[in-house]
Amino acid sequence: MSATTNTAAGRPPGTPPIVLLKGICKYFPGVVANQSIDLEVLSGEIHALLGENGAGKSTLMNILTGIYQPDAGEIIVDGYAKAFASPVEAIAAGIGMVHQHFKLVHAFTVAENIHLGWGETPARISAQELEARTAELASALNLAVKPDARVEDLSTGEQQRVEILRVLARRARLLILDEPTAVLTPSEARELFKALREFVSRGNAVVFISHKLDEVLEISDRITVLRGGRKVATEETGNCTHQSLAKLMVGHEIVLNDLRGRAASAASLSPQAVLSLHEVSAHDDLGNVALNGVSLEVRGGEILGIAGVAGNGQKELSQVLTGMRPVASGRIEVGAKDFTGKSAEQFAAFGVGHIPEDRLHSGLAPALSVTDNAVMREYKKPPVSVGSWFRPRAATALAETIAAAASVAVPDFGMPVRNLSGGNQQRLVGRREMRIAGKGLIAAYPSRGLDVGAINTMMRYFVELRDAGCAVVLISEELEELLNLSDRIAVMFHGRIMGIVDGTSTDIEEIGLLMGGKPTTNPPLSVAAN
Amino acid sequence: MARGLAIVLALVCAGLVLGAAGANPIALASKVIQSTFGSSFGLQDVSLLVTPLILTGLAVAVALKVGAWNIGAEGQFYAGAFAATGIGLFIPGPTVVILPLMFVGGALCGVLWILIPTLARAYAGVSELITTLLLNFVGTLLAYYVSTGPWLDPGGHALGTTARVPHSVPEIWGDVHWGFPLAIMLTLVVAGVLNFTRWGYEVRLAGSNAQAALYAGIPFRRHLITVMLLSGAIAGIAGMLEVAGTVHRLQGGISNNFGYLGIMVAVLARGSAIGVLAGAALMAVILNSGIILQTQGINTSTVLAITGLILFFTAIGDELAHYRIVPIETAKK
Amino acid sequence: MDIIAGLLQTSILAGGVLALAALGEVLSERVGVVNLGVEGLIALGAITAIAIVTASPNPVFGLIGALGVGFVVGMIFASATVVLRANQVLCGLALTLMGTGLAATIGKAYSGMPAKATFAPVEIPYLSELPLLGRALFTQNILVYLIYVVLPVALHLIMFRTRHGLNLRAVGENPAAADAAGISVQKFRFWYVAAGSSLAAGAGAYLTLAFVPSWSEGVVAGRGWIAVALVIFAGYRPINAVLAALLFGAITSLGFVGQARNWPIAAPILSMLPYLGTIALIIMPVLAWHRVRRLMAAPAALGEPYYRDVR
Repeated sequence: MSATTNTAAGRPPGTPPIVLLKGICKYFPGVVANQSIDLEVLSGEIHALLGENGAGKSTLMNILTGIYQPDAGEIIVDGYAKAFASPVEAIAAGIGMVHQHFKLVHAFTVAENIHLGWGETPARISAQELEARTAELASALNLAVKPDARVEDLSTGEQQRVEILRVLARRARLLILDEPTAVLTPSEARELFKALREFVSRGNAVVFISHKLDEVLEISDRITVLRGGRKVATEETGNCTHQSLAKLMVGHEIVLNDLRGRAASAASLSPQAVLSLHEVSAHDDLGNVALNGVSLEVRGGEILGIAGVAGNGQKELSQVLTGMRPVASGRIEVGAKDFTGKSAEQFAAFGVGHIPEDRLHSGLAPALSVTDNAVMREYKKPPVSVGSWFRPRAATALAETIAAAASVAVPDFGMPVRNLSGGNQQRLVGRREMRIAGKGLIAAYPSRGLDVGAINTMMRYFVELRDAGCAVVLISEELEELLNLSDRIAVMFHGRIMGIVDGTSTDIEEIGLLMGGKPTTNPPLSVAAN
Repeated sequence: MARGLAIVLALVCAGLVLGAAGANPIALASKVIQSTFGSSFGLQDVSLLVTPLILTGLAVAVALKVGAWNIGAEGQFYAGAFAATGIGLFIPGPTVVILPLMFVGGALCGVLWILIPTLARAYAGVSELITTLLLNFVGTLLAYYVSTGPWLDPGGHALGTTARVPHSVPEIWGDVHWGFPLAIMLTLVVAGVLNFTRWGYEVRLAGSNAQAALYAGIPFRRHLITVMLLSGAIAGIAGMLEVAGTVHRLQGGISNNFGYLGIMVAVLARGSAIGVLAGAALMAVILNSGIILQTQGINTSTVLAITGLILFFTAIGDELAHYRIVPIETAKK
Repeated sequence: MDIIAGLLQTSILAGGVLALAALGEVLSERVGVVNLGVEGLIALGAITAIAIVTASPNPVFGLIGALGVGFVVGMIFASATVVLRANQVLCGLALTLMGTGLAATIGKAYSGMPAKATFAPVEIPYLSELPLLGRALFTQNILVYLIYVVLPVALHLIMFRTRHGLNLRAVGENPAAADAAGISVQKFRFWYVAAGSSLAAGAGAYLTLAFVPSWSEGVVAGRGWIAVALVIFAGYRPINAVLAALLFGAITSLGFVGQARNWPIAAPILSMLPYLGTIALIIMPVLAWHRVRRLMAAPAALGEPYYRDVR
């Protein structure tokens, strides 16, 4: 169950912790990212940092590694107070971080990346010399890498090993890993854990940021839980269980506003599926397999939640369901019609709305006016267009209607839409899509970057659509959100559906297991009965 | 407005440099204003200069709407002039027939001149900036070649010009010909199409964000090609009008850097039709000042340098306009 | 035989301008900044060299003056594009207009006059007696050897065989990664843009002191733009760049030979060859093999200003 090292025994009494954070505070405009956080990392331990998205884990580590400056509090390394003005200073103090998005130069080889910006690189270099030194380092630190391979050819797991090697080569004593297993296969994850165990056995320490309860319980010695920018608890792993951790992560009020109840006037589930995927496979932008034989059915009048750590195929799933990405194999049906290979325009015309993951990059044209953006879905029809003519006044009127329904105050409809706040942009896009979402709505991470008010508005939109008989697919990282809204939840892992569970009867533990890659005994396809 | 400030700053700078070089900037400025606005000839000259500038500016601005840099307006200008001259000199017929033919020929030749860069950009992602620009030199050489070689004026004594083209665009006021109101009208028509048609909306959307265009189901490549070819056509028309309306011959240096100044006009215009007209007017006045002040050592080269200065300050000003002053807290040591 | 030797000799001589300008642009683009002001820089370098040489007839002074002017102008350009992060394309175009216009204005006083001092061809003992190659390769002015041999090899070694070069290339590929590794992105960009501009101006000095050798309006004739295109074609590598420049020198001298020997094609048409050739070459790599394309790919962050705190 818990980690099995005797780190306390190996440590002489009175040894200061490798790193001690005291009362760290960090504020951004409108957001309390960290509030009076204390964290202690002892040598020889693997310390897990647990919490939901937005709990403040990454911010805290960015402070420790010199990317951000704390607004209050102290950083104490080996008993001495330190302040890091830049990442380089943190590295010099022996603190190294492997970020979720690797800082590697794709066109360079592994050896070149390892030696980048490193004082110990000789002034004159040759490929053979760099590769030989890299091989030496790799074997000394027990990390298997291919020194002569170009980074862009490596799998994410291999790239991560290069990142780790880079950090360890600079004599890091504290290694911080941010969601490291998000991009690893189970066997790669096991290799990683082995390497980490060896690392700490030499007196070093690891901080392991994660929200996968399974792994945290397996690998760590102690666990610190953050919630809403504050530290909630620090526990010995041996004393923790899935349930206790889940409660700490999410808080006692797990299910706040259960929106799954329906009024009498709400539409009932449609007899046929409105959206369905049959064994669909698709590739991502780099050509790798992103969706692997996915089969799903969504009926009108229900909300299907899609859970899973970001990067397991959710983006490609939303693109496939809205015609923005071609499928490599399989079939898509919308309203019992074959929609495989149809364009985004055809999906939209048929009544499938799309709230995209990255609204500013796909769903909006940032430099164009609010009006132009608001009419993006309806510009071909009257009243906005009559024949070939586009009527700006009618467009503005429509934009005003949408903005009013979305409760977005727009001072000037001619101004670029990027001037609106993120919440307002999202509400605008949400309302715009709802207007055309006669059959279905695909919403990808709709509450990302939004404040509570905007999130609530979004939730009510989805309920509205559901009650009108629409099929809603909600992709989200927020378990609370999914549990509040979804009738069923499908969990994605490495491009597959690991299982579909009933929204009312499931809990975080079950979903967490599925997110971590453990398939359930249920067949993954069943459409839940009423 | 940041742009206005940039222009003023550039002119002040230029004035200072001229002052350092021995000229008297205030005297120069007053001479310019007097000659330009104080006489009918001055205004006519400016109007004649403004016509090609409006069109090349429009050409570049239109391409920018879809995200493409048409630096080749100069070459397309020459291509249009070439076609118009060829048609005018060698195809017999009444003016009523030939003149429109010259117009169409000029436009088509402009399209031809931008065709390869367009296809290279649309299908191979090759930067149109360099390909259109290189064709400028080819266009200039072509005009130079025909006007000193096969089409050299047999009866004249000048070395580098063709015979007078027998068909002219009729004049409306003094030397100013119908090309002037035509250019203005064309600008308004293009602006109208971009703002009041469905196609125009799609082009604007595609040019702003290619991803959003995909999202909305707009065929980006098709629109890119159409707009770039249109841009070439407009620049070609500029060349045709210059031959048929102003100079009446084809000569090696018939373009006063109109293509390059058109880039300036488009950048200053920031995507609006009024901006194109206003920018072209400004450029015409500056260009005209150069001609007036030729005796003082100010010529097209100096005007070009001043134009570059304006562009430089504009680019900097645009970026600074995005900054907000926020106090930075440095780490406490 | 003699014709070929002559052709080779002229090709090398003609390509020198392009080679030096292209080397400068390689430096700039390798740190991620595209400098479209090369045409203007060549013009400025050219007129500076002529002006200095007219005052004191030593071509070396002319060259140094041009390099200096190029460096200073490069610093101004870098201040706008690297420090202030203004749009690189616009600033480059502005620089071309300013440089060309300014040079032409100053150049009125020097137009058409042959340079008072030039870099004359030097005969290397023994080697210049060789048949064919002797005349072509070993009877060139000293700048040719610098531009075609010393500089590209030196730059290649620095860029690909030193720690400094590794960091330099990282700045152009992934400034965020370089920054995280402790490399000063802004410093690299600023000084290498200035250095690249200096070389471009040096190409102008070569033009008016070794190749033409005199000043006239329009003497640059778009060579700056061809150099920018050559860099793309050469895959951003110094040695490839001078080889590509040599190829262009050959195309240009073919035109000269044609004129001298009264080929039936008119002079202006022959003059079109370099530009048409460049367009063909710039389209070609796109049609190439994927692996070749990867090796010749542009630095990934080329043209994008770097902001540390944008995530």
